Order: sequence, then structure tokens, then C-alpha cells
Amino acid sequence: MSDKAHDISLEQAQELVSLLEEGKQQQANQLLEDVYNRRNDKLFTSVGQLTRDLHEALQDFQLDPRIVQMTEDDLPDAQNRLQYVIQKTEDAANRTMDAVEACLPMADDMHQRVESVMPVWNRLMSNDIEINEFKSLCHQVDDVLKRCGENMPQVHGLMTEVLMAQDYQDITGQVIRRVIQLVEDVEKNLIELLKIFGKEEARREAEKTESSKQKSASEAEGPIIDADKRDDVVGGQDEVDDLLSSLGF
Amino acid sequence: MKILVVDDFSTMRRIIKNLLRDLGFTNIQEADDGNTALPMLQNGDFDFVVTDWNMPGMQGIDLLKEIRKDDNLSHLPVLMVTAEAKREQIIAAAQAGVNGYIVKPFTAVTLKEKLDKIFERIS
Repeated sequence: MSDKAHDISLEQAQELVSLLEEGKQQQANQLLEDVYNRRNDKLFTSVGQLTRDLHEALQDFQLDPRIVQMTEDDLPDAQNRLQYVIQKTEDAANRTMDAVEACLPMADDMHQRVESVMPVWNRLMSNDIEINEFKSLCHQVDDVLKRCGENMPQVHGLMTEVLMAQDYQDITGQVIRRVIQLVEDVEKNLIELLKIFGKEEARREAEKTESSKQKSASEAEGPIIDADKRDDVVGGQDEVDDLLSSLGF
Repeated sequence: MKILVVDDFSTMRRIIKNLLRDLGFTNIQEADDGNTALPMLQNGDFDFVVTDWNMPGMQGIDLLKEIRKDDNLSHLPVLMVTAEAKREQIIAAAQAGVNGYIVKPFTAVTLKEKLDKIFERIS
């Protein structure tokens, strides 16, 4: 604002005085207005520049493409991916259990048939059997063999189904790995934001989280994924039993 | 013997149901959290409850406390089968009156052992 070009000059002042002395009121007013406007132009330019800078700064902040993309696309996408993992694992578990549930009655059936043949069969093996008993034994054994021949290919097919159902591990593993990558990226961005908004705030928040963690010692946490690194969890059923028996169970 | 299996994951309910069936228990019903389970228990003649801990709605530990509070249900044996493995939690469950505590992942042998132990103590 101290730009000399926009200050009123001695020449302009003298011109103004002479115009007034000559009674040229209108021209004098015009001259004064010119001087005044030139100073205002400079002010407007400066305010305009500031406004543009502010606008661009805000624009930059909001339109950091990674943050926008993360909140608008990546995070909802991650939710979908994790839903997909739940769906896939549920499907695999049900496929496996369907196959197992179909196998178990066949195994029980075979076991029962063999059991019912065994007493007479044992007598045959020790040469202690009547001819009519032998005939009926032959039919029974024939039945067992036929049933076994029918069931085994079925069992084989069902076992293959169980095997194939395990392909979820590969698929879900890949999906989860991508979500882990996103979580890392979000974490990095959040750290950047915390740096901008001050460390004091971050420290207070961290303390708050820490104390709420301590409060929830007996609250549900879900599967423990780092049991070997923690000393507040049990390492398996044996430790649960030890703990309970120490409590008088 | 009529058993209620409470877990928010249908696959886990199915696993437990299959294991129980293998052990000779065939009268089994299911609920997906404490809020569903409690009215079923109040209205049905259940003899045994197997419950998870961490479920949306009413959690297993709260279901256990509600059962112990209810005069008609307080005698009901409750077996907890859960991934919750913190010492504090196991102690909390014991204090709330749980009859057995199994951590996931578990085996059929463990389930049989705990059931036997519970029934032995009851009879």
C-alpha cells in the first residue's frame, strides 16, 4: 500500500489547488476521485489476491485426491470387501458341512451293516457255521459289498467337495490383504492430519483411548489375534481350565 | 434333553448342533443373540444353554446374568463357547455363574468333556 505510484503527488496537489483557484470545481472533483480510485484499485487487487489464495488453499485441502478417494470410494469398497469375506467364509463353511452331513449317515449305515454281519462272519472264520446260516451270511455280505460299492464313489465326491470348498482361503486372503493396505494408507493420512492439527490434541486423544482400553478388561473383544504377545489372555483351553479350577471350579 | 444354542454365526450354531447330535442330543433349538434367546428360554422347557459371548444385541455374559436373575431359569446350566479369551472375562463369567467355559477354536473332545463334567456335577 506504500507504493509511490498510488500516493498523491505534489504535482497532483498543486494541480488540484490551481483548479480550485480557477473555480473549476468539477475538474477538481474529478482529479480527486482519480487519485482516490487508484489507491482503492490497489486494495481491491490485494483483497482479490488473498481471496484467491484462500480459495486455492481450501480447494487443495479438500481435493487432495487421495483423501477424497479414500472416503468416497476406498472405505465403502473395503466394507464391501469385508462383507464379501464373511459371505465367502460362510459359503465355504456351509458347503463343507453339507458334504460332511451327507457323509456321516453313510458311514453310520456302513458301520451298522458290518456290525450286524460280524458275529456270523466270525463264526465262519472259526469254521463254526451251519449251511443255512452260511447262505444267509452270503446274502448279507453281498448286500454290504454292493452298498459299499455304491457309497464309496459318493463319499469320494463329497470329500472332493470339502476339498474344493477350501478355495475361499486364497480368495479371502487376497481381499483381506488389500484391505490391510488401505488401512495402512488411511493411517498414514490420519497421521498427516494430526500433524497439521497439533500434537497436543493427539496426545490427549491417545490418553483417552488408553484409559478406555483399561476400563474394558472384561468387555467383549472378539477373537484374539495376537495371544502370544499379550499377557492378559489365556493361551488355550488348558489355561481356561487351570484358571477356573483356581477359582474353585 | 432340550438344548438352546446361542451364537450370532449360523455356521458356528451348525457346528455345535452337529457335535451335540453326535453326542446323542437331538432336541436342539437356535437363537442368534441374547435378546432372541431369553424369551425362548422363558417360554420353553429348556434343560441346557450353550452360548457365545460376543454377539450384537444382548451379549452372552448379559444373557447369563439374566438367566441367573430369573427365578424360573436360575438353575439352568450354561456353557459358554466363545473366542473371548481374556483372564478378566473368564473370571467375570465364573462370577456370573457360568457352568463351563470353552474357548474357540475347540474340539469335539473338549465339548464332550465339559458337558460330562457339568452333568456329573448336576446329578
